[in-house]
Amino acid sequence: MHIMEGFLPLQWAVFWWVLALPCLAFGVIQLKRILAADREALPLLGVTGGFIFILSSLKLPSVTGSCSHPTGTGLSSVCFGPWVTSVICAIVLLFQSLFLAHGGLSVLGANIISMGVVGPLAGWAIYRSLRGTGVNMYFTVFLACAIADLCTYIVTSLELALAYPAEVGGVTSSFVMFVGIFAITQVPLAIVEGIVLALVFKYIVQLKPEILVRLKVFPEAKIRAAAGDA
Amino acid sequence: MMWHRYRLEVIAVVAILCFCGIFLYTSSLMDGAEYAGSDTLGASRAAELAGVAEEDFGPLVPQWVPPSGEIESGLFALQAAVGGIVVGWVFGYWRGQKNRSP
Repeated sequence: MHIMEGFLPLQWAVFWWVLALPCLAFGVIQLKRILAADREALPLLGVTGGFIFILSSLKLPSVTGSCSHPTGTGLSSVCFGPWVTSVICAIVLLFQSLFLAHGGLSVLGANIISMGVVGPLAGWAIYRSLRGTGVNMYFTVFLACAIADLCTYIVTSLELALAYPAEVGGVTSSFVMFVGIFAITQVPLAIVEGIVLALVFKYIVQLKPEILVRLKVFPEAKIRAAAGDA
Repeated sequence: MMWHRYRLEVIAVVAILCFCGIFLYTSSLMDGAEYAGSDTLGASRAAELAGVAEEDFGPLVPQWVPPSGEIESGLFALQAAVGGIVVGWVFGYWRGQKNRSP
Protein backbone atom coordinates (compact mmCIF):
# COMPACT_ATOMS: atom_id res chain seq x y z
CA MET A 1 0.00 0.00 0.00
CA HIS A 2 2.99 2.26 0.11
CA ILE A 3 3.10 5.04 -2.40
CA MET A 4 6.79 5.36 -3.16
CA GLU A 5 8.70 8.53 -2.34
CA GLY A 6 8.44 11.09 -5.11
CA PHE A 7 5.41 9.47 -6.70
CA LEU A 8 2.94 12.05 -5.46
CA PRO A 9 3.09 15.58 -6.85
CA LEU A 10 3.81 18.15 -4.16
CA GLN A 11 0.27 19.50 -3.90
CA TRP A 12 -1.16 16.03 -3.27
CA ALA A 13 1.58 15.17 -0.76
CA VAL A 14 0.73 18.32 1.17
CA PHE A 15 -3.02 17.68 0.87
CA TRP A 16 -2.77 14.21 2.49
CA TRP A 17 -0.40 15.48 5.17
CA VAL A 18 -2.91 18.18 6.08
CA LEU A 19 -5.63 15.52 6.40
CA ALA A 20 -3.39 13.17 8.38
CA LEU A 21 -2.09 15.57 11.02
CA PRO A 22 -5.38 16.26 12.83
CA CYS A 23 -6.12 12.51 12.87
CA LEU A 24 -2.75 11.89 14.53
CA ALA A 25 -3.25 14.71 17.03
CA PHE A 26 -6.67 13.34 17.94
CA GLY A 27 -5.17 9.85 18.25
CA VAL A 28 -2.45 11.03 20.64
CA ILE A 29 -5.02 12.80 22.84
CA GLN A 30 -7.23 9.70 22.90
CA LEU A 31 -4.27 7.46 23.66
CA LYS A 32 -3.26 9.61 26.63
CA ARG A 33 -6.82 9.56 27.94
CA ILE A 34 -7.15 5.76 27.63
CA LEU A 35 -3.81 5.10 29.33
CA ALA A 36 -4.50 7.61 32.10
CA ALA A 37 -7.82 5.91 32.83
CA ASP A 38 -6.45 2.37 32.84
CA ARG A 39 -2.78 1.37 32.90
CA GLU A 40 -3.77 -2.21 32.11
CA ALA A 41 -4.71 -1.04 28.62
CA LEU A 42 -1.01 -0.63 27.86
CA PRO A 43 -0.26 -4.38 27.44
CA LEU A 44 -3.29 -4.69 25.12
CA LEU A 45 -1.96 -1.77 23.11
CA GLY A 46 1.35 -3.66 22.95
CA VAL A 47 -0.32 -6.74 21.51
CA THR A 48 -2.42 -4.93 18.92
CA GLY A 49 0.48 -2.66 17.96
CA GLY A 50 2.87 -5.62 17.90
CA PHE A 51 0.72 -7.33 15.33
CA ILE A 52 0.77 -4.24 13.11
CA PHE A 53 4.59 -4.40 13.26
CA ILE A 54 4.65 -8.12 12.47
CA LEU A 55 2.00 -8.28 9.75
CA SER A 56 3.06 -5.15 7.90
CA SER A 57 6.57 -6.57 7.52
CA LEU A 58 5.40 -9.80 5.87
CA LYS A 59 5.41 -9.50 2.12
CA LEU A 60 3.35 -12.34 0.75
CA PRO A 61 2.83 -13.56 -2.82
CA SER A 62 -0.66 -13.46 -4.24
CA VAL A 63 -2.68 -14.84 -7.13
CA THR A 64 -1.87 -11.90 -9.41
CA GLY A 65 1.82 -12.82 -9.54
CA SER A 66 2.88 -9.91 -7.36
CA CYS A 67 3.55 -9.49 -3.66
CA SER A 68 1.86 -7.39 -1.05
CA HIS A 69 1.63 -7.24 2.70
CA PRO A 70 -1.21 -7.34 5.22
CA THR A 71 -1.73 -4.31 7.45
CA GLY A 72 -2.76 -5.79 10.81
CA THR A 73 -4.67 -2.65 11.75
CA GLY A 74 -8.13 -4.17 12.33
CA LEU A 75 -7.43 -5.62 15.78
CA SER A 76 -6.16 -2.34 17.14
CA SER A 77 -9.10 -0.53 15.58
CA VAL A 78 -11.59 -2.88 17.26
CA CYS A 79 -9.92 -2.51 20.67
CA PHE A 80 -8.96 1.18 20.64
CA GLY A 81 -10.69 2.79 17.66
CA PRO A 82 -9.23 4.12 14.41
CA TRP A 83 -7.49 7.25 15.77
CA VAL A 84 -5.21 5.43 18.21
CA THR A 85 -4.50 2.96 15.41
CA SER A 86 -3.37 5.78 13.16
CA VAL A 87 -0.70 6.76 15.71
CA ILE A 88 0.75 3.21 15.75
CA CYS A 89 0.64 3.10 11.95
CA ALA A 90 2.45 6.42 11.73
CA ILE A 91 5.30 4.93 13.81
CA VAL A 92 5.56 1.85 11.58
CA LEU A 93 5.34 3.89 8.39
CA LEU A 94 7.97 6.35 9.65
CA PHE A 95 10.33 3.43 10.37
CA GLN A 96 9.72 2.05 6.89
CA SER A 97 10.25 5.44 5.22
CA LEU A 98 13.49 6.13 7.07
CA PHE A 99 15.16 2.73 6.97
CA LEU A 100 13.51 0.63 4.27
CA ALA A 101 12.76 3.15 1.51
CA HIS A 102 9.16 1.89 1.59
CA GLY A 103 7.11 5.02 1.29
CA GLY A 104 8.86 8.27 2.13
CA LEU A 105 8.55 11.43 4.14
CA SER A 106 6.65 13.44 1.51
CA VAL A 107 4.14 10.62 0.87
CA LEU A 108 3.92 9.64 4.56
CA GLY A 109 0.73 11.68 4.95
CA ALA A 110 -0.96 9.78 2.13
CA ASN A 111 0.23 6.45 3.49
CA ILE A 112 -0.99 7.31 7.00
CA ILE A 113 -4.40 8.21 5.57
CA SER A 114 -4.74 4.88 3.72
CA MET A 115 -3.25 2.46 6.25
CA GLY A 116 -3.81 4.38 9.47
CA VAL A 117 -7.05 6.27 9.00
CA VAL A 118 -9.49 5.16 6.32
CA GLY A 119 -8.72 1.42 6.52
CA PRO A 120 -9.10 1.22 10.31
CA LEU A 121 -12.12 3.54 10.12
CA ALA A 122 -13.86 1.19 7.67
CA GLY A 123 -13.06 -1.84 9.84
CA TRP A 124 -14.25 0.01 12.92
CA ALA A 125 -17.54 0.94 11.21
CA ILE A 126 -18.20 -2.74 10.44
CA TYR A 127 -17.31 -3.69 14.02
CA ARG A 128 -19.55 -1.00 15.54
CA SER A 129 -22.51 -2.02 13.40
CA LEU A 130 -22.16 -5.70 14.41
CA ARG A 131 -21.00 -5.21 18.01
CA GLY A 132 -24.40 -5.29 19.70
CA THR A 133 -26.04 -7.80 17.34
CA GLY A 134 -26.18 -11.58 17.62
CA VAL A 135 -23.34 -11.98 15.11
CA ASN A 136 -20.48 -14.11 16.43
CA MET A 137 -17.79 -12.01 18.12
CA TYR A 138 -14.87 -13.65 16.32
CA PHE A 139 -16.64 -13.35 12.97
CA THR A 140 -17.10 -9.64 13.67
CA VAL A 141 -13.35 -9.27 14.35
CA PHE A 142 -12.58 -11.26 11.20
CA LEU A 143 -14.75 -8.97 9.05
CA ALA A 144 -13.39 -5.80 10.64
CA CYS A 145 -9.77 -6.87 10.03
CA ALA A 146 -10.34 -8.07 6.47
CA ILE A 147 -12.24 -4.90 5.53
CA ALA A 148 -9.63 -2.65 7.15
CA ASP A 149 -6.91 -4.38 5.12
CA LEU A 150 -8.82 -4.24 1.84
CA CYS A 151 -9.96 -0.63 2.25
CA THR A 152 -6.38 0.46 2.87
CA TYR A 153 -5.48 -0.68 -0.63
CA ILE A 154 -8.60 0.81 -2.19
CA VAL A 155 -7.63 4.17 -0.69
CA THR A 156 -4.07 3.84 -2.00
CA SER A 157 -5.57 3.25 -5.44
CA LEU A 158 -7.75 6.33 -5.05
CA GLU A 159 -4.81 8.47 -3.92
CA LEU A 160 -2.80 7.47 -6.99
CA ALA A 161 -5.80 7.84 -9.31
CA LEU A 162 -6.46 11.38 -8.08
CA ALA A 163 -2.85 12.33 -8.75
CA TYR A 164 -2.69 10.48 -12.09
CA PRO A 165 -6.04 10.62 -13.90
CA ALA A 166 -6.01 8.70 -17.18
CA GLU A 167 -6.21 10.70 -20.39
CA VAL A 168 -9.32 8.76 -21.38
CA GLY A 169 -11.80 8.22 -18.57
CA GLY A 170 -10.00 10.42 -16.04
CA VAL A 171 -9.82 9.54 -12.37
CA THR A 172 -12.39 6.73 -12.62
CA SER A 173 -10.55 4.72 -15.20
CA SER A 174 -7.15 5.06 -13.54
CA PHE A 175 -8.79 4.19 -10.20
CA VAL A 176 -10.12 0.96 -11.71
CA MET A 177 -6.65 0.22 -13.01
CA PHE A 178 -4.91 0.84 -9.68
CA VAL A 179 -7.56 -1.25 -7.90
CA GLY A 180 -6.60 -4.02 -10.30
CA ILE A 181 -2.99 -3.78 -9.13
CA PHE A 182 -3.51 -3.27 -5.41
CA ALA A 183 -6.90 -4.51 -4.27
CA ILE A 184 -7.22 -7.73 -6.26
CA THR A 185 -3.80 -8.86 -5.02
CA GLN A 186 -4.96 -8.05 -1.53
CA VAL A 187 -8.17 -10.13 -1.37
CA PRO A 188 -6.59 -13.48 -0.33
CA LEU A 189 -4.22 -11.72 2.07
CA ALA A 190 -7.09 -9.83 3.69
CA ILE A 191 -9.02 -13.05 4.28
CA VAL A 192 -6.07 -14.83 5.90
CA GLU A 193 -5.23 -11.75 7.96
CA GLY A 194 -8.81 -11.55 9.22
CA ILE A 195 -8.80 -15.18 10.32
CA VAL A 196 -5.41 -14.92 12.05
CA LEU A 197 -6.37 -11.77 13.93
CA ALA A 198 -9.70 -13.31 14.97
CA LEU A 199 -7.65 -16.16 16.47
CA VAL A 200 -5.42 -13.66 18.29
CA PHE A 201 -8.56 -11.98 19.63
CA LYS A 202 -9.73 -15.35 20.94
CA TYR A 203 -6.50 -15.70 22.94
CA ILE A 204 -6.93 -12.21 24.37
CA VAL A 205 -10.48 -13.14 25.42
CA GLN A 206 -9.18 -16.27 27.11
CA LEU A 207 -6.22 -14.67 28.89
CA LYS A 208 -7.45 -11.20 29.79
CA PRO A 209 -11.22 -10.83 29.36
CA GLU A 210 -11.34 -8.13 32.08
CA ILE A 211 -9.51 -5.57 29.97
CA LEU A 212 -11.90 -6.10 27.04
CA VAL A 213 -14.84 -5.70 29.41
CA ARG A 214 -13.41 -2.50 30.90
CA LEU A 215 -12.72 -1.01 27.48
CA LYS A 216 -16.25 -2.10 26.45
CA VAL A 217 -14.90 -3.75 23.31
CA PHE A 218 -17.90 -6.08 23.25
CA PRO A 219 -20.93 -6.35 25.61
CA GLU A 220 -19.82 -7.97 28.87
CA ALA A 221 -22.16 -10.96 28.48
CA LYS A 222 -20.63 -11.84 25.10
CA ILE A 223 -17.05 -11.67 26.40
CA ARG A 224 -17.83 -13.63 29.58
CA ALA A 225 -19.66 -16.32 27.62
CA ALA A 226 -16.74 -16.70 25.18
CA ALA A 227 -14.14 -16.69 27.99
CA GLY A 228 -16.08 -19.30 29.97
CA ASP A 229 -16.48 -21.38 26.86
CA ALA A 230 -12.81 -22.03 26.42
CA MET B 1 -16.20 -30.93 22.63
CA MET B 2 -12.86 -30.75 20.82
CA TRP B 3 -14.18 -29.30 17.57
CA HIS B 4 -16.09 -26.59 19.34
CA ARG B 5 -13.04 -25.63 21.39
CA TYR B 6 -10.50 -25.47 18.60
CA ARG B 7 -12.75 -24.38 15.74
CA LEU B 8 -10.89 -21.12 15.06
CA GLU B 9 -7.48 -22.81 15.20
CA VAL B 10 -8.62 -25.39 12.65
CA ILE B 11 -10.04 -22.70 10.36
CA ALA B 12 -6.80 -20.70 10.60
CA VAL B 13 -4.59 -23.66 9.75
CA VAL B 14 -6.84 -24.64 6.82
CA ALA B 15 -6.85 -21.04 5.53
CA ILE B 16 -3.06 -20.78 5.69
CA LEU B 17 -2.64 -24.16 3.96
CA CYS B 18 -5.11 -23.08 1.25
CA PHE B 19 -3.18 -19.84 0.82
CA CYS B 20 0.06 -21.78 0.31
CA GLY B 21 -1.66 -24.28 -1.98
CA ILE B 22 -3.17 -21.55 -4.15
CA PHE B 23 0.25 -19.86 -4.37
CA LEU B 24 2.00 -23.08 -5.44
CA TYR B 25 -0.71 -23.82 -7.99
CA THR B 26 -0.94 -20.34 -9.56
CA SER B 27 2.83 -19.85 -9.58
CA SER B 28 3.22 -23.11 -11.49
CA LEU B 29 0.75 -21.81 -14.09
CA MET B 30 2.31 -18.36 -14.51
CA ASP B 31 5.74 -18.61 -16.07
CA GLY B 32 6.39 -14.90 -16.36
CA ALA B 33 5.28 -13.92 -12.86
CA GLU B 34 8.03 -12.00 -11.07
CA TYR B 35 6.31 -11.60 -7.71
CA ALA B 36 7.43 -8.00 -7.52
CA GLY B 37 5.86 -5.77 -4.90
CA SER B 38 2.50 -4.24 -5.78
CA ASP B 39 4.00 -0.93 -4.56
CA THR B 40 6.55 -1.12 -7.37
CA LEU B 41 3.92 -2.08 -9.96
CA GLY B 42 1.72 0.83 -8.84
CA ALA B 43 4.64 3.22 -9.17
CA SER B 44 5.53 2.11 -12.68
CA ARG B 45 1.87 2.40 -13.73
CA ALA B 46 1.77 5.92 -12.28
CA ALA B 47 4.89 6.75 -14.30
CA GLU B 48 3.18 5.44 -17.44
CA LEU B 49 0.11 7.60 -16.80
CA ALA B 50 2.26 10.66 -16.18
CA GLY B 51 4.21 9.94 -19.37
CA VAL B 52 7.50 10.28 -17.52
CA ALA B 53 10.22 7.63 -17.25
CA GLU B 54 10.24 5.93 -13.85
CA GLU B 55 13.87 6.87 -13.26
CA ASP B 56 12.95 10.54 -13.55
CA PHE B 57 10.85 10.42 -10.39
CA GLY B 58 13.24 11.78 -7.82
CA PRO B 59 12.33 11.77 -4.14
CA LEU B 60 10.81 15.05 -2.96
CA VAL B 61 12.52 14.56 0.38
CA PRO B 62 16.01 13.01 0.27
CA GLN B 63 15.83 9.41 1.35
CA TRP B 64 18.22 6.72 2.54
CA VAL B 65 17.82 3.55 0.51
CA PRO B 66 19.08 0.22 1.87
CA PRO B 67 22.20 -0.58 -0.19
CA SER B 68 21.05 -4.13 -0.92
CA GLY B 69 18.11 -6.49 -0.68
CA GLU B 70 19.94 -8.33 2.09
CA ILE B 71 20.08 -5.27 4.29
CA GLU B 72 16.47 -4.43 3.49
CA SER B 73 15.25 -7.91 4.44
CA GLY B 74 17.30 -7.73 7.63
CA LEU B 75 15.58 -4.52 8.64
CA PHE B 76 12.17 -6.00 7.81
CA ALA B 77 13.01 -8.98 10.02
CA LEU B 78 13.98 -6.56 12.78
CA GLN B 79 10.60 -4.85 12.50
CA ALA B 80 8.78 -8.17 12.80
CA ALA B 81 11.02 -9.26 15.69
CA VAL B 82 10.22 -6.12 17.68
CA GLY B 83 6.50 -6.80 17.22
CA GLY B 84 6.93 -10.47 18.10
CA ILE B 85 8.87 -9.74 21.29
CA VAL B 86 6.21 -7.31 22.53
CA VAL B 87 3.36 -9.70 21.73
CA GLY B 88 5.12 -12.64 23.42
CA TRP B 89 6.01 -10.55 26.46
CA VAL B 90 2.42 -9.40 27.00
CA PHE B 91 0.88 -12.84 26.51
CA GLY B 92 3.38 -14.21 29.03
CA TYR B 93 2.59 -11.39 31.45
CA TRP B 94 -1.16 -12.09 31.20
CA ARG B 95 -0.65 -15.80 31.61
CA GLY B 96 1.41 -15.23 34.72
CA GLN B 97 -1.25 -12.93 36.18
CA LYS B 98 -3.94 -15.47 35.45
CA ASN B 99 -2.09 -18.36 37.10
CA ARG B 100 -1.38 -16.35 40.23
CA SER B 101 -5.00 -15.32 40.82
CA PRO B 102 -7.16 -18.38 40.27
